[in-house]
Amino acid sequence: MEFLSNYIYYIGAFGLIFIGLFIILVKHNLIKVIIGIGILDTGVNLFLIAVGYISKGTAPIFSKAGLDANNMVDPVPQALVLTSIVIGVAILALALSLAIRLYKHYGTLDLRKIKEQRW
Amino acid sequence: MVNPILLIVVPLGLAFALPIVNLISKKIIKYIPVLAFLFNLILSLLLIPKVLEQTIIVKIGGFHPPFGINLFVGPVGILFSTLIALAGFLVSIYALSYIKEGPKEKYHILYLLLLTGATGVVLTGDMFNLFVFFEILCISSYALVAYLGNKAGIESSIKYLIQGSVGSSLLLLGIGLLYGQLGTLNMADIANQINSISSPSIFVPMIFIITGLGIEAAIFPLNAWLPDAHSSAPSSISAILSGIAIEVGLYAVIRVIFTIFNASSFLMFFVFLGVLTLLIGEMSAFSQKNIKRMLAYSSIGQIGLIMFAISLNTQLGISAGFFQMISHTLGKGLLFLSVGFLIYKTGSMKISSFEGIGKKMPITSLLFTIGAFSIVGLPPFAGFASKFMIIKAALTTGQLLFTVLIGVILLGTVIEGAYFFKVIQSIYFKGTTDIIKRDEAPLIALISMSIFVLLIIFIGVYPDFIARILNSAASEFINRIDYIRSVLG
Amino acid sequence: MSLELLLIIAFSGAFLTYLSGKISSQLRDGVAVLISLGLVAIVSFLYNVQTETVFYQGFFGISLILRMNSLAWFFAIAIVSFTALCIIYSLSYMKDCERSNYYYFMMLLINASMLTIVLAGDLVTFFVAWEIMSWSTFLLISYNRNGALQAGIKYIVLSLIGSMCMLVGILSIYTSFGTVNIADVANHLTPSSVGYKLFLLIIFSITFGIKNAIMPLHTWLPDAYAESPSPFSAVLSGMLTRMGVFGFLLIMYVIVGMKTTLHLGRGFLSFNTILCWLGAITIVIPTFIAMLQNDAKKLLAWHGIGQGGYMIVGIAFGTSLGAAGGIFHTLNHATYIVLLFLSVGAIEYSTNGLRDLNSLGGLFKKMPIAFFGGLLGISGLIGVPLTNGFVSKWLIYKTLILGNAPFLAFAALLGTWGTVLSVYKFLHNLFLGQLPEEHKEIKKAPLTMQIPIVILSFTIILFGILPGLPLKVINSIIVAAGFQALDINIWGVTSETGTLNMLNIFAAIAVFGAIFWGIFKVARKSTPVDQYDNYAAGAAVPKNKYHYTVEYYAPFYRMGKPFLKDIFDMFYNRIAEAIGSICDSVRKIYTGYVGSYVMYIVLFIASLIFVQLTWSIF
Repeated sequence: MEFLSNYIYYIGAFGLIFIGLFIILVKHNLIKVIIGIGILDTGVNLFLIAVGYISKGTAPIFSKAGLDANNMVDPVPQALVLTSIVIGVAILALALSLAIRLYKHYGTLDLRKIKEQRW
Repeated sequence: MVNPILLIVVPLGLAFALPIVNLISKKIIKYIPVLAFLFNLILSLLLIPKVLEQTIIVKIGGFHPPFGINLFVGPVGILFSTLIALAGFLVSIYALSYIKEGPKEKYHILYLLLLTGATGVVLTGDMFNLFVFFEILCISSYALVAYLGNKAGIESSIKYLIQGSVGSSLLLLGIGLLYGQLGTLNMADIANQINSISSPSIFVPMIFIITGLGIEAAIFPLNAWLPDAHSSAPSSISAILSGIAIEVGLYAVIRVIFTIFNASSFLMFFVFLGVLTLLIGEMSAFSQKNIKRMLAYSSIGQIGLIMFAISLNTQLGISAGFFQMISHTLGKGLLFLSVGFLIYKTGSMKISSFEGIGKKMPITSLLFTIGAFSIVGLPPFAGFASKFMIIKAALTTGQLLFTVLIGVILLGTVIEGAYFFKVIQSIYFKGTTDIIKRDEAPLIALISMSIFVLLIIFIGVYPDFIARILNSAASEFINRIDYIRSVLG
Repeated sequence: MSLELLLIIAFSGAFLTYLSGKISSQLRDGVAVLISLGLVAIVSFLYNVQTETVFYQGFFGISLILRMNSLAWFFAIAIVSFTALCIIYSLSYMKDCERSNYYYFMMLLINASMLTIVLAGDLVTFFVAWEIMSWSTFLLISYNRNGALQAGIKYIVLSLIGSMCMLVGILSIYTSFGTVNIADVANHLTPSSVGYKLFLLIIFSITFGIKNAIMPLHTWLPDAYAESPSPFSAVLSGMLTRMGVFGFLLIMYVIVGMKTTLHLGRGFLSFNTILCWLGAITIVIPTFIAMLQNDAKKLLAWHGIGQGGYMIVGIAFGTSLGAAGGIFHTLNHATYIVLLFLSVGAIEYSTNGLRDLNSLGGLFKKMPIAFFGGLLGISGLIGVPLTNGFVSKWLIYKTLILGNAPFLAFAALLGTWGTVLSVYKFLHNLFLGQLPEEHKEIKKAPLTMQIPIVILSFTIILFGILPGLPLKVINSIIVAAGFQALDINIWGVTSETGTLNMLNIFAAIAVFGAIFWGIFKVARKSTPVDQYDNYAAGAAVPKNKYHYTVEYYAPFYRMGKPFLKDIFDMFYNRIAEAIGSICDSVRKIYTGYVGSYVMYIVLFIASLIFVQLTWSIF
């Protein structure tokens, strides 16, 4: 049980990563693949947060006397995650807009049928 | 002293200033990239002598490494930033006459961002910063591939995006794993501490980072996006993608392997991978009917050659690899640019539609021919000098294995020669024999392409001109201790 | 006159010609002729000069050297003279062709690069010039479009294979000894192992064998010769192909050294014996294949391969007589094959591009100069006494007989028989017999085409009667290579078992010739009639239906055809097809479906892990 509580975030993060990869690999619908990318991204972000997280830790600000620096949550991953979320959003937005254009051209979002560019 | 951070700040700032300028005047926006990269080119050239003397470490915000983000302007960085600025400058001149349709201001913004990202990747000394610049590079190239908005462009772009975002997730995951173990993101600091942790726990982040970066570097089998994207983008962008983007990706891969992970034993695997990449690329290009796809596959082949050279892990091999990068940037850039107008005038990418174009556009065809000769590695062009150096490096190692692999590589060269010569034949010796009215590419584009040709011939005839910087660049990779010391003091 | 200046003139002359062509075609013609004749003058002034200059050091710090010695001079003068003749010939031949600026540019560029090859004092210069020669040749072979395109691709692919082999050889020398200076390399190579020398010899032999079209590597040649513009075919066959001979001389007798080359291996398995036998095969088979050809230029092309075999046999046999014969044969072959190509070119010019042996004939009266050119050319090719081909063939035969190589001598003899048969077909089907109706009114070949033919015909006789002139230079070449000097006088060669003295032969032939001429003059019985003043079983001869040059050697053709196929060509084509289809299937891995691409990414990670777990390289 203690194992689970210690590693739940990592398990969750890798769970999301594998789910995301699985969707990208298996699903044929472009929208679903984009959702997979989103999930994959979220998993990685969660992992980054989990790296810096300390359970029952405090914010990394010396606002009160007596705060233990060892008990503070690492601020760097949080900053990273903010950046990476922004990047993820940009990718999702671009992907969705491309999906709309693609649908206009092909009339379908089935990736098995969108194979004009090959060989 | 000029601050190298301007190399990143100026194009980035101009990229964001561009929409505002667009409100004032729609005519001058296309000159902004030209100015930006002219500035970058001059600055890089001015910095070269200083950097060769001593590496410049730029501490952003005044924080000392390993705490703040720092830029590492070493010989490799300055070599690449010069190359990026040079290609960016020439291609933006070309684009003055080439980009006529579509949302032009977006093209120029994305173009500036793309090359800012590339410059950032090669100059940064921070792992996460590398990721961010990498994403700038990738996202702007996804968008630029789809710039024409046609069926092929959109399709290639979305495929590129899917693979690229999987790659960037892997990269970020690797960086996270590394941070979790070492608590630092500074590349020199990671490199300094890498030997303190056990090898399996280094290995996992390493393969994630290599795979993530390798997608952009077009290492086989991660390169499936490349032929689609390079063939569907506007030709000026194909030139940048082929000449700059994949090489920056490859730079990142080798920086990670050499400097950060000190994994030179892993390079043996990369030697084979390089030869495989080369063979797959050249063989796929062999029977292409579409000229831009052919050039794109040929880029894969060239990347394989560069990988092979650098994976030799000798001073000579790494400098030969850089040399090959330079000659590939120049040669492939020239090829894509000249093909851009060939396609523009014939309205088709099929090689068969170029029959007789040599009479209609003699100068553009000549430029294409010179580019092709250089890529195949015929003297007196740059491609010969770099290939010469690579073979010399491989033979200097004295190992039988490398000698055999050189044989395989030269077989690839023969295949490459065969398909390029076929194209040259259809340009000059097929089609109508009647006298056709000349319909040449615009003068400004011809000037930009001619500068490529001059550089190709100059470097091909006088390779010692760049020997010193190549040499210091190679030492930067070999002596990782110096890298760590110069950053951490 | 320094060598750099010579090459600067040669290369910049090519560009100058191209640029002046933009102004006017007369100016261009003038410049081209002036440059090519100027080069002849400069090179002939360099006779007996021995110099060596470092001309450039900017290429990876390698000292690039130009060097003049008797070997270089011999080839250089031949290159510039034959090119000059072909340029003069081109003036009217190429007059109405498109892209003539380009044609002259390439001719002079090839000339300049060949000149650089022979003057090169180090291997890098040699290689660079070799490559420039290869690609410019490719561009000129493709000039005639249509069938020429395939020929061009075949040429450049084989040529690239050859030059890649050479590049590996050169760089292996460079990395082992740190120098590419030919003289230094030769010194360094003396103490190195036999295996390494053999490696170098083999790898360079592939390159030069491809260029010189030794039998299994010859397939590019027939198409390339046949499809090029005739003056260029002449240069191609006369000098460019023979750069292979120059290369063989260089690698065997200058770089590796005569003493070593001749003692590599034992008995039949020694390097030079194998090369001799390859040469012998190259003599016999192509000569008989030539007999089956119905395209005049293709027939000559196959002879070009066959004659190359004589040179190789002579050079590889490794006696002073043989080496002299091989080198002399190179020059002689150049004179008569250039002459023959130019004669065929004259016919092509007059009949608007016809060179099919089945449909020509009887042009003797219409084109007497071309006929005499052709006659002397084939006499040289056969080796009729009083022509230069006789002397060099005599030297080679003599070598083989003295060297106890009866089988090789028989092969050489067989080659001559084949030559006699096939060149008779050549001469007959073009010039003798009946003139087809449609060629009654043909335009005459202009003067600029006749001058080179006359000069070359004269040269054939000159070197045939006075072989001492070139043999003097050749003697100094073979002495420099370490052979014994030959005893040479102006009329011929003295050897231990007999003396070749062309003066006696000349006198004898002159006397007999005079007698026969007298007899035929006095006892002349024939009455010339019109060729259609004739009958066929009581009926009039249907015009243009029967033409008796068609299927000239029909019985032989039926017999020989199954055996005289170019199996190597088919073999290479098969390989090329196989490679093409493999390439086609390789690119199928880029399926177009994104899921599989992402799968590749996952597989890549898996393979990295697998590699690490199996070999734990990290």
